[in-house]
Amino acid sequence: MVRRGLSHALVLAATLSLAAGALSPAMAEIKIGVLLPLSGKASQYGITQEVGLRMAEAELEKLKIKGEAVKLIVYDTRGDNPEAINLTRKLIHSDKVLLVLGPFFSAECEVAFPIANQGKTPIITAAAAKPGIAAKNRPWAFRMALTSDKLNGPLVDRWQAANKGQIKKVVVLTDTKDAFTKADGTQVFPGVLKAKGIEVIDNISFQTGDIDFSAQVTKVKGLSPDGIVVVGLYNEGGNVVREIRKQGLQQPVIGALGMSEAKFIEIAGPAGEGVMVVNPFWADNPDTRVAAWVAEYTKSGKTPNNAATLIYDSLFITKQCIEKAGVTNQPDDLARDRERLKDCWTGVKGYPGITGSIAINADGDAVLEPFVLVVKNGRFELVR
Amino acid sequence: MLLQQVVNGVMLGSTYALIAIGYTLVFGVLHLVHLAHGEVFMIGAFIGLYVVLWTGGGVVPALVGALLGTALLGVLIELVAFRPIRARGGHFLAPMISTIGVGIVLQEVATRLFGSELVGFPHRLEPVTFRLGPLTVTSLQLLILGVALALMIALHVFVARTRLGMAMRATAENLLTARLLGINTTRIILLTFAIASALGGAAGVLVGLSFNAISPFMGIDMGVKGLAIMLIGGLGNIHGAMLGGMALGVIEVLSVAYLASSYRDAFAFAMMIAILLLRPQGLFGSAEAVESRV
Repeated sequence: MVRRGLSHALVLAATLSLAAGALSPAMAEIKIGVLLPLSGKASQYGITQEVGLRMAEAELEKLKIKGEAVKLIVYDTRGDNPEAINLTRKLIHSDKVLLVLGPFFSAECEVAFPIANQGKTPIITAAAAKPGIAAKNRPWAFRMALTSDKLNGPLVDRWQAANKGQIKKVVVLTDTKDAFTKADGTQVFPGVLKAKGIEVIDNISFQTGDIDFSAQVTKVKGLSPDGIVVVGLYNEGGNVVREIRKQGLQQPVIGALGMSEAKFIEIAGPAGEGVMVVNPFWADNPDTRVAAWVAEYTKSGKTPNNAATLIYDSLFITKQCIEKAGVTNQPDDLARDRERLKDCWTGVKGYPGITGSIAINADGDAVLEPFVLVVKNGRFELVR
Repeated sequence: MLLQQVVNGVMLGSTYALIAIGYTLVFGVLHLVHLAHGEVFMIGAFIGLYVVLWTGGGVVPALVGALLGTALLGVLIELVAFRPIRARGGHFLAPMISTIGVGIVLQEVATRLFGSELVGFPHRLEPVTFRLGPLTVTSLQLLILGVALALMIALHVFVARTRLGMAMRATAENLLTARLLGINTTRIILLTFAIASALGGAAGVLVGLSFNAISPFMGIDMGVKGLAIMLIGGLGNIHGAMLGGMALGVIEVLSVAYLASSYRDAFAFAMMIAILLLRPQGLFGSAEAVESRV
C-alpha cells in the first residue's frame, strides 16, 4: 500500500511538473561543475578551497538562484593532469553542467582549458597563477586569480622602500618542479627585478618535495647578495627560509605568492619574521565584511587563503550572471546558456567580492588589488 | 664553500644511513627487502611528534616513544604480513609484495589520521647552531651523526658479541640448521623486525626534527634511498650502509651545489649504478656473500 501510494504520488508529481512545464518552462536544478585536488599529495590546497566552496553552497541553499536549487558536482582531480582532462570532459558532456569552476593548478588548467574551449563551456580557475593560461584559451577560459606579474611589482617596490633602496643585487631561489613557481621564478621575477634596476646574480633551483636545502643556501651564502627572493610553495618556501636563517644569513627575504599563507609562518617559525609576501587577500583585514567571512570560515578549523575567497566569489559572480544574463536552464537551451554565462563573465566589472573589487580583463584574468604583507610576531601585517 | 658543502652532505648522509641500517638488518637476517620500512620510519616521526605535543616534552621522550611504538609496529607487521605468508611457503617474492601492501596501508591510515599537510615539531625544539669559522653545524646534526655512529657500533657489538646476536647470525646463515640446533628462529625473526623497526622509528623522529617536514609521504623518497644505500653498501652489511649513506648524501649535495637541483636524484642514482658496475657486491660486501644469496 505504502509503495503504491508513493508511486501514485510520483505520477502525480510528474504530471504536475509536466503541466507546469507546458504552461511556463520551470527551471530544473542548476548544475555547476567543480574540479578540486581533494586527495593525494596536493590535497591540502583543495581542502582549504573546498571549505570556501561549501560556505557558498550553504548560503545558496537558502538564497537559491531564480528560486531553483543549486547542485554542485564536485570531482577530485588529485592534482593529476590526465584526471583533470577526463573530469572536464565528463562535466561538460555527460553531466551537462552550465559552467566549470577549477581546476586548481596551472599545469591542470593548461590541459583542461582547451577541452572546455572545444566544448564551448565557461571554465574558471580560482587559483592557478601562471601568466597566460586563460589568454591562450579565449573566449571560454577565465582565471579568477591575480597573475604573478601583477603581484610582484608592488612587492619589489615596497621591499626596496623598506630597505631604503639598498637592494642592488639579489639571488633568486626557484622551485623549478611546480609549473607556477617555475614561470614565476625564471621569467616573471627576473623581469620585474630588472625593470626596477635590481641585478639577479644567480638563480638557484630546488624541487617541490625536497626537504634538504643546505646546498642551495650555502651557495647563496658564497654569493653574498643584498637580498634573497624565494619562489616556492609554502612548505618548501618555509623550510628554505628556515635554512637561510639557520646558516646565519641576515639578508632581507621576499617570498612568492605561494608563500603568502598562514601555513608558511607555521613552517618557517621564528625564521619567517620580516619576510615580505604579496597576496590579493588579507585574512587579518579589519574590514567588517571580510572579518565576518573569516570568522565563519575559521569555524571549519582551517585558516582561509585567497584560493578559498576566490572560489567563493566565483560562485557568487556565477549566481549574479545566471540571474542577469537570462539563463533559462532548459536542457535544449544548454549551448545558449553557456554562451550567455561566458558573455556575462567576460564583462565582470567592479564586483564587490570578499577578495575585494573584482574585474575581468581582456585576457580573461581577474584584476584585483594586491596587498603587500610582512610577517611580524607570527602574523601577516599590511605594509603601507 | 666546498668544505661547508661536504659537511652538509655528511649530515644529510647520516640521516640516510639511519634508515639504511634498519633495511640492512632485516635483509641481513631474513634476506627480505622490507618495503614498508619507509612507512615505519614515517609512523615513527608522527609518534614522536604527538608525544611532544601531548606531553610537552623534548627530544628524549619523543625518541623513546617512537622507539617503543615502532618496535610494536614491527612486531605487528611480522605477525600479520610476514609470518603467515612465509608459513605457506609460497614464492620467495611473496613476503616482499606483502610488505608493499603494508606500506600502502600505513600511508593511507596516516593520511586519514594526520592529514596530508606537512607538519613540523614545535619551534621550541629548534636546534642550537654552532659556527666554527666559516662552517655552520647544528646540535641536531651532530646528534644525528652521533646516533647513527652509535647505532652502527651497538648493532655491530650486538650481532658479533652477544648470544642473541649469534643466534641472529645463525638464523641468517641457515634457518633450518639454526632451528635444528635449538635456536628459536621464530623469536629471532620477530626480534629482528622489532629492532629494525625501532631504528626506523628513531630515524623518523631525527629526520622530522632536522628537516621540519613530517608527512604521510615522507617515507617514500627516504625508503627508496635507504634501499639504494643498502645495495651500494653491500647487502646486509651495517658498516656498508653507514658509508653508503654518507656517500649518497655528499654526492647529492655536491650535485645540487655544482649542477642543478633537478639532477639531484638522477646524478645520485647514476653514481650508484656506476658503483654497482664496478663492485657488484657493493662497497663492503664480499663476493661469496652475493653468490650464496643468488
